[in-house]
Amino acid sequence: MKSSKATRMLLRGIFAALMLSAVFAASAGASPAWKFEGKALEGKETVVGAAIDSSLTIPGLTTKCENFLYKLTIENVSETGKGSVTELPLYNCTTDTKNCTVKSIAAEALPWAVQAKLISSTNYIVIEGVKVAILYAGELCALGGTLARVTGTAGGRIDNTAETATFDKASFAATGTALKALGSTIEWNGVFPTEAFEGHRLQALTVS
Amino acid sequence: MRKKQTRARTVCAAISLVALACLGLAAGAAAKLTGEFTRFAQCPYTNAEVRRCLYSTTEGGTVVLGNKTVTITSPAVLQGGYGPVGEDEFATKFFAAKNGITLSKAPQSVPGGLLGIVPPEKSPPLVKALSAFFFENALTGVNSTLELAKPASAIRISENHLAEEFDIALEMPVQIHLENPFLGKNCLVGSSSAPIPLKLTTGTTAPPLPNKPIKGKAGELELLEEGTILKLKGTELMDNSWAAPSASGCGGILSFLVNPIINAQVGLPSAAGKNTAILKNTLYESPAIAVKTNDETHP
Repeated sequence: MKSSKATRMLLRGIFAALMLSAVFAASAGASPAWKFEGKALEGKETVVGAAIDSSLTIPGLTTKCENFLYKLTIENVSETGKGSVTELPLYNCTTDTKNCTVKSIAAEALPWAVQAKLISSTNYIVIEGVKVAILYAGELCALGGTLARVTGTAGGRIDNTAETATFDKASFAATGTALKALGSTIEWNGVFPTEAFEGHRLQALTVS
Repeated sequence: MRKKQTRARTVCAAISLVALACLGLAAGAAAKLTGEFTRFAQCPYTNAEVRRCLYSTTEGGTVVLGNKTVTITSPAVLQGGYGPVGEDEFATKFFAAKNGITLSKAPQSVPGGLLGIVPPEKSPPLVKALSAFFFENALTGVNSTLELAKPASAIRISENHLAEEFDIALEMPVQIHLENPFLGKNCLVGSSSAPIPLKLTTGTTAPPLPNKPIKGKAGELELLEEGTILKLKGTELMDNSWAAPSASGCGGILSFLVNPIINAQVGLPSAAGKNTAILKNTLYESPAIAVKTNDETHP
């Protein structure tokens, strides 16, 4: 009699532990899939867009590009949204100081691996292997002639309603990602619309 | 009588004029730097060969010399200017500070002083205080000062290595000056003919045993004054591969007796892999032309 009570308690304990593990697994980085009109993407799709607003900030110097385009190839691998950034042309870049100009800026080591992640019930896109080389100029600029290489991993928050991915301090903190340049952590703020360009053109892209 | 008075008045007026002219010239020659640029007052920025100005304060860190560990508590300043970057990624030439104080002398107290008596780390504060009072006072206390052993032109700096945390960022030929009334004025470890070649990195060191690799830090970057001044806070420069020679010149004419005592006390000579320099800095850099422009626009 005593042993059956003990067995019941043990089973209850195991069940509770399993439930807890499942909850933690979901909140600690489950992998959502790419969906078009609510249906999981089959095969590959190309997403192309231009940043609505994007800036890179080293404390004291913010760099903005008028044309911040991107091309992203996406697919679901084992029901997980994956992909890669294949192109990132950057044009007409300036800084917020009169002394520093951007002589050249270019994405390096493309493609960059992309994965969709669910963290604490919010969907994120995580881009790994980011590498952007910025050459600043200006004879009065302290970074004049210095090649600043922005490297690291970037995490952006996905808004299924607005169909955008937003990169900011909060999204980097939530995804545990960081970008560095010249040995220091830098801030990347940007809002990117997600629009399919091939078979799913004009269809709503969501991540869930 | 009147003639004498007139002459006296003329002389006085002339002296006043000369004095005023001198004052005017002195004011004209003084640097008129403002804001964050005031740090670069000793940078030879008017020299056309100088491309950048440097002002770096070592605010903390440790120097392990033989069996002595000295904690840096008194800030030291390295300042001057340097030329364009060469193919080896180092500045082609370093230029001394205008006032001649390229590396300021910041004496650091050697634990245990002359007698080398240091209470165990776990000792009560009173024991530590008494030990410091008796063994680290003006008479028995010893200060060590890191000094440039060669002219400033022997300093080598690579901004790129410093920011990217690899290879040597700053190379300085130094000597360590041990000071105490008994040791005289010339008790040195290293000299201008045989300096300690500190090769500091913000990357990871590769020392010979028994030292182990240690990692430096470029620090957190910030741009000041509309992007014209670069500030690196929390920069950690390391070298634990250097060798320290025997002490020399300790005790004046009694150096033949005192040198061996100091060598035994400090553990000199000390082979490469047994010494360490960790320098924690805040560093400021600016193009010389930006400093000059600031000077000229603030008469």
